[in-house]
Amino acid sequence: MKFQSQKVAWGFFATCMLLLSLQLIYGFIMGFAHAGYDGLHQWIPFNTARATHTNLLVMWLLAGFMGAAYWIIPDECDRELAWPRLAWVQLIALVVVGVTAIIGFHLNWWEGRKFLEIPRPLDFLVVVDVLLFVGNIGWTVWKADKKSTTSMVLFFGLLAAALLYLPGMIPTDNQTVDSFWRWWVVHLWVEGVWELIMGAILSYLLIKLTGVDREIIEKWLYVIVGFTFLSGVLGTGHHYYYIGTPRYWLMVGGIFSALEPLAFLGMAIYAFAMAKKGGRTHPNRVALLWTVGCAFMSFVGAGFLGFAHTLPQVNMYTHGTLVTAMHGHMAFWGAYAMLVLAIMAYALPIMTGRKVYEGATAGFAFWTSNIGMTAMTLAFAVAGVSQVVLERRAGMDFLTVQKEIEIHFWGLILAACLFTLGICAFIYDFIRYGLPTAPLRSGEARSVTPPEILPTAAAARGAV
Amino acid sequence: MGGALGTKAEERRGMLSKSAAKAFFLGGTAVTASVFLALTWDTFQQIPGRTNASALTEGVKRGKHLWESNNCMGCHTLFGEGAYYAPELTKVHERRGPAFIRAMLKDPQAMFPGQRQMTNYHFKDEEIEDLVAFFEWVGKVDLNGFPAKPNLGAPAQRAQVAGSTGHAPEVFGQVCTTCHSLQGAGGTVGPALDGVGDRLDAAYLEKWLRDPMSVKPGTTMPKLPLDDAQLGALVTFLSSQKLTKEVAQ
Ligand code: HEC
Ligand code: HEC
Ligand code: HEM
Ligand code: HEM
Ligand SMILES: [Fe+2]
Repeated sequence: MKFQSQKVAWGFFATCMLLLSLQLIYGFIMGFAHAGYDGLHQWIPFNTARATHTNLLVMWLLAGFMGAAYWIIPDECDRELAWPRLAWVQLIALVVVGVTAIIGFHLNWWEGRKFLEIPRPLDFLVVVDVLLFVGNIGWTVWKADKKSTTSMVLFFGLLAAALLYLPGMIPTDNQTVDSFWRWWVVHLWVEGVWELIMGAILSYLLIKLTGVDREIIEKWLYVIVGFTFLSGVLGTGHHYYYIGTPRYWLMVGGIFSALEPLAFLGMAIYAFAMAKKGGRTHPNRVALLWTVGCAFMSFVGAGFLGFAHTLPQVNMYTHGTLVTAMHGHMAFWGAYAMLVLAIMAYALPIMTGRKVYEGATAGFAFWTSNIGMTAMTLAFAVAGVSQVVLERRAGMDFLTVQKEIEIHFWGLILAACLFTLGICAFIYDFIRYGLPTAPLRSGEARSVTPPEILPTAAAARGAV
Repeated sequence: MGGALGTKAEERRGMLSKSAAKAFFLGGTAVTASVFLALTWDTFQQIPGRTNASALTEGVKRGKHLWESNNCMGCHTLFGEGAYYAPELTKVHERRGPAFIRAMLKDPQAMFPGQRQMTNYHFKDEEIEDLVAFFEWVGKVDLNGFPAKPNLGAPAQRAQVAGSTGHAPEVFGQVCTTCHSLQGAGGTVGPALDGVGDRLDAAYLEKWLRDPMSVKPGTTMPKLPLDDAQLGALVTFLSSQKLTKEVAQ
């Protein structure tokens, strides 16, 4: 660790671990409810469990991105954070808002729009909190002498994510309009600006872990995010097929969203190629495993499984079934959960000066969680495809079909146990790493890349 | 990136330079974003017509608010968006009808005894009317054909019930057939009602329908919200269900 202020990242990472654990508990509650055991219904009805599960997910991913940014930006900009203490305040505020929202969900206080359930007054607090974060990062980048492409892409990705939260707050009485704006947040996040964040963090990790020349890595970063926006922006149309919007979206959304997997394929090829090209073997092999694994699993979950139901002819029958849940799990896991775990796997040893990655649990955590998630995806897939065939195509009653597919939720629960075991191993290692130490104490600090060819400030400002 | 560095990099690394990559990113984004904004503008011109925005009454708006403030989308889907735990509700007004929706919202447990549970919100009658109005409006939005009609095997059972009981009161087809069958079509929660007119007389039927619990404590047949006109029509209809007559025909 080069800078004192990078320590704040640890606080965000610890928050991630805590929220992830809670998220899994609510996942199990829903798994059992689907399998026919909704004994908690009186206290935690399904809609509460669901809102809690997905909002905890989004919250810990955002906390992870913030932690990653507080770690990467000082390193890339070669200076301390602008306001380290503000970063701590902003973390605490985020947790307080999050906990309030979660308690609200248990008291029937929410907005009731999928993924945007947080009640309106708290929405404003989230926006303020994120703006404080973006301000802190932005000011650090602004004051820096060197502005690397990686740091600029990361900064603009985070800024755009904050701004795209706003359309979700436009009030309307029309359900179609409501749904239209909701996708500006949900889709343009995960298939747009979050991919900028992902690309930047992966680039940073690949630069550090493979030792490949920064110029090459950053060049391909531009190509990949270029493909992302070229396909992903108009690809929003794959959510505008059947919500009351004009028919031309079937064509526009179908064509452009079918191209989206290219960006994910590019990301996977890029990570594999750089890892292979890298002459230097960094001692932290597990961090590289998470990095390359993230690029690969995001292609499977988002690219391949996304494509599987994105054409309008297919989506007509799969829209709003468990097929979507299948895709949602693998995509979020591969692209964003693994990304946050990758930066943690890289940063923690440097932050704490301990080399826990040498132990057996580190590899165990990676393989067990990934095999578990793959099995969960399969369970959702079998349940989802059965639902589509029986309910949507053969016209059987909803509840009759749900009875029919209960068995697959026992499969889901078994797979989820395996997955949870992997996550427990990761958290166990996190605890073993302990608290961050003072800068420059560990041997790792020496492996910081040598001074690189860096663009001039003026050129980089126009970069993104 | 910077001019001098960029050209040097170009020379060293062949065809694609970093500055060309950056131009591709910025140019591509600018073009797609512009097209997207133009289509968004056009979509907003068309939405009022496609969604019958003129039929957005105060009741529908209140219904939408109830839908959101209780997070019904956390169990159900609407327009195919939401959770996968409870039935898709876009066409519920057409599929089940208002009488069924009223009964369901009054006491969800009663309608599906022993099944997956829905929360009982203890709605007031006006609130139930608002939700019914909301579902009616939602069902008429032009969704480009969603949800598609099932295209495999036999058509849904419900359609057959409607056909065979054409002369039955509307509420019978909407509510009673969820649990009872007639001429082999309908639900299986309660006994089949073929020949019920042979078994039970009108006075008993009326008492039963007013409050099944008072006749047979502990029964799973719910007390349904029926007004006097509906009750009268049902008793007449049920009394006419005589197997002897059917055989004669
Ligand atoms: C905890 C989950 C849950 C919540 C929340 C919920 N429902 Fe339900 N709902 C169900 C289930 C499950 C069914 C299927 C019937 C059953 O088993 O009770 C259902 C059935 C229905 C039906 C009948 C659909 C049909 O085709 O048979 C209607 C109408 C309905 N719900 C409306 C609502 C409304 C309106 C709200 C919000 C105020 C709501 N529900 C909230 C779980 C839920
Ligand atoms: C939620 C399911 C449900 C609904 C809805 C329902 N019933 Fe029933 N009904 C039952 C059950 C269960 C019984 C058997 C009661 C018992 O024996 O305890 C029953 C019994 C009856 C009986 C007595 C049948 C006999 O042969 O003894 C009649 C008549 C009847 N229902 C009429 C109706 C009518 C008319 C409606 C519509 C207004 C209706 N039911 C709606 C569940 C339902
Ligand atoms: C990392 C990237 C991605 C993530 C995290 C992700 C996640 C999700 C989630 C959570 C949903 C459900 C959203 C809701 O109903 O509110 C969804 C829906 C959908 N996704 Fe993705 N996705 C990603 C990428 C993709 C890609 C690349 C494609 C296409 C190739 C795709 C195609 C779809 C489609 C068609 C739906 C709608 C499903 C329906 O009709 O019910 N996704 N995605
Ligand atoms: C213990 C493990 C888990 C279990 C048992 C589980 C189970 C579930 C269930 C049953 C649903 C609800 C589907 C419905 O609406 O009916 C759900 C939703 C969801 N979960 Fe999980 N989950 C687990 C872990 C995760 C993880 C690790 C992630 C992210 C990386 C995740 C992301 C999601 C998302 C995005 C949704 C919404 C999907 C959609 O709307 O299509 N879950 N989960
Ligand atoms: Fe999407």
